[in-house]
Amino acid sequence: MSKLRPFCMPKWGIEMTEGTIAEWMVGEGDRVKRGDTLCLIETAKITNEVEAENDCVILRVLAPAGQDVLPVGALLAVFGDDDVPAAEVDAFIAAFVPAEGGVGEAPVASGDKPAKPAAAPAAAPKKIATNRPISPEALALAEREGADLDAIEGSGRGGRITYQDVYQHLRPQAAPVLRGAAELAPEDLRIFASPLARRLAALHGVDLSGLTGTGPRGRISKHDVLAAVPAPASGGAAFVAVANTPRIAPFDKVRGVIAQRLTAAKRDIPHFYLRVAVDVDALLALRKTANLVLGIKASINDYLVLAAGKALARHPDVNVQLHGDAVHHFPHADIAVAVASPKGLVTPIVRQVDRMTLPQLAAATAAQIDKAKAGRLSWEDLDGGTFTISNLGMFGIDDFDAVINPPQGAILAVGRARREAVETADGGIDFATRISLTLSVDHRAIDGAAGAQFLATLKGLIEDPEQLFG
Amino acid sequence: MAKMMYRDAVRSTIFEAMERDERVVVLGEDVVGGMGTAGGPEAIGGIWSTSTGFYDAFGPDRVIDTPISESAIVGAAGGLALAGKKPIAELMFADFIGVSLDQIWNQIAKFRYMFGGKSTCPAIIRMAYGGGFNAAAQHSQSVHHFLTAMPGLKVVMPSTPEDVRGLLREALRGDDPVIFLEHKALYGVTGEVPDGDWTIPFGHARLTRAGQDLTLVATGLMVSRCEAAADALAKDGIGCDVIDLRTTSPMDEEAILDSVEVTGRLVVVDEAPQRCSLATDISALAAQKAFASLKAPIEMVCAPHSPVPFALELEQAYLPSAAKIEAAARKVLGYR
Repeated sequence: MSKLRPFCMPKWGIEMTEGTIAEWMVGEGDRVKRGDTLCLIETAKITNEVEAENDCVILRVLAPAGQDVLPVGALLAVFGDDDVPAAEVDAFIAAFVPAEGGVGEAPVASGDKPAKPAAAPAAAPKKIATNRPISPEALALAEREGADLDAIEGSGRGGRITYQDVYQHLRPQAAPVLRGAAELAPEDLRIFASPLARRLAALHGVDLSGLTGTGPRGRISKHDVLAAVPAPASGGAAFVAVANTPRIAPFDKVRGVIAQRLTAAKRDIPHFYLRVAVDVDALLALRKTANLVLGIKASINDYLVLAAGKALARHPDVNVQLHGDAVHHFPHADIAVAVASPKGLVTPIVRQVDRMTLPQLAAATAAQIDKAKAGRLSWEDLDGGTFTISNLGMFGIDDFDAVINPPQGAILAVGRARREAVETADGGIDFATRISLTLSVDHRAIDGAAGAQFLATLKGLIEDPEQLFG
Repeated sequence: MAKMMYRDAVRSTIFEAMERDERVVVLGEDVVGGMGTAGGPEAIGGIWSTSTGFYDAFGPDRVIDTPISESAIVGAAGGLALAGKKPIAELMFADFIGVSLDQIWNQIAKFRYMFGGKSTCPAIIRMAYGGGFNAAAQHSQSVHHFLTAMPGLKVVMPSTPEDVRGLLREALRGDDPVIFLEHKALYGVTGEVPDGDWTIPFGHARLTRAGQDLTLVATGLMVSRCEAAADALAKDGIGCDVIDLRTTSPMDEEAILDSVEVTGRLVVVDEAPQRCSLATDISALAAQKAFASLKAPIEMVCAPHSPVPFALELEQAYLPSAAKIEAAARKVLGYR
């Protein structure tokens, strides 16, 4: 008898709780071989190809490609070794219980015993043993979401942890939208008006003394004031406003992650900025020759990435990540290169730039940019990184301040190359091509002097680019 | 406009009423406060000095020292009111209201209703309440919540000298029994009191700070603590509405609901313990009638469910402070 196998939403990292089928490469009835691409699954961070682990037949596809967000462990499809009657597949689906943790392909189950009943629900709860007073629903939520009860202060009697306490703990910090103070009109005791009515009257310039109150005991209420707000005077043909209805685009996953991470970075990281203008005439001249000699198409950005990698190797105190209270120093420079992909800003990483030659770097960077543009970056392409370079020069930006990409310690913002008048050694005027480099630095991990020395080294490498081939 | 202390506003407003209206009489323990029961030129006018000079000006028929019996004082005030007088009874400490609850709750609060409106009972019962004076558990309580719960009574809690004058005048001009609660810690507070013949209607709250992010509601001493918290929050750009209710019965529900509509966040501050308090009452009001406006759960900053401690440090920890109010406000603002 044919064996049926469930294909479930995989779990690709501790933070992954859900995913979306971006595209199916196979359809029902298809016979696939081990290693064939089954589908593309999109998560908050990445889009990954999923390959078949065995030769099989696609018996049923349950999750159509599209925008349905499915939890880890959700049944996506049913595979079999051979064609199986539809009724048997139906029975298998009906009896299916999602396994703990979420797996790409659950352990093989035979057609007779479609699926092993699992005791735990879909989201893989982890039992928490605690003596603290906590409501049953709160404990269930904490177990389901893996909340750390020690980090939660109970708001109930005797420190009892409520569902709301856990729920609040699990949600990211929100900065309230503040509207600030309002104008307080002094109270005129001769006029009986509610506090809000007085505020509105002050706001709209309404004279309260002329109003008759319709509120309790004849008090002037907000409605009385709003009714007395003078209509705007009309002169000539009145301007008629049309509906200014917004097109509402909810954050997709990538945009959501960008928003969350960069908000946290800008809020929590004490940034300081170092700016330097670098002459690139020598680099531009050298690039033409070097690319011809080497037979490559390295961009100016590639040269800058290479220079940054070599400078980072000489300044390991800038080539850092900050984790809690510890600074991690790295011997090699894994540089994230900010790329504007169709889905938003992504930062694929080029590994060990300091050990690369220019042709190696150009090839590696081009490969990452291609992957980013195709939306096929994997977790490995994005995880880690010790430094980031963001270049907006191609958009005509002179200079800008980039937001640090945590846990990295610094990010380099590169502006456009522009011709500037400079004073020559003999007091004359000459023109030079310059770019502006701005280093955003996490002051918790890196001191001003360290950042400045790194920039000086970088400037030296760019202005004397032959060193890059040394 | 004159500057005066809260206690002087009480004294001068009653004095003015006694000059103006022969029916006004003052009675209570030690309201003469002289060198003996007959009073005299040295009379200090009660333990709060709120009837100083009354005995000399109006004599023993209108300034009456009573035995130490709250039930007798309130009972006599009720009888005087029924008989056409305007009695102002002083109970010293609100904590001792228990022995006169029958007179207050079952008698004077209900006379007008049970006599079909043919009789009124314009008795004013003044008492000092509240903590912060190291006066221990029987002299420091806040009892406004259960008086507010009694139908038929007006309950007034002025927080400034100006409000004392306006609200006491309103009480004197009405026909209903009024519980006039003076906070001990406010007697020494000085403020501007406008000249002229004006009153503050009951059920008309005062907005003392205006903001768009959070509503703070309080009475009596707690108003200034809310203002201090609001000022601290303002440094971070957080704008608070601070509502001084002035009277808890009738209560200015519209002021609270209007404000919550603007801010969407509510912190209620009450000197009494939270259970069955004014704070829970206001919270229920907002939860019932402004639920759609609320962006976060309502916070209440109240005293613990315990007697008021005697030890100064414990008493300070017991009472709602500006810091506690600020913390509650930040909690509400941090809700997500």
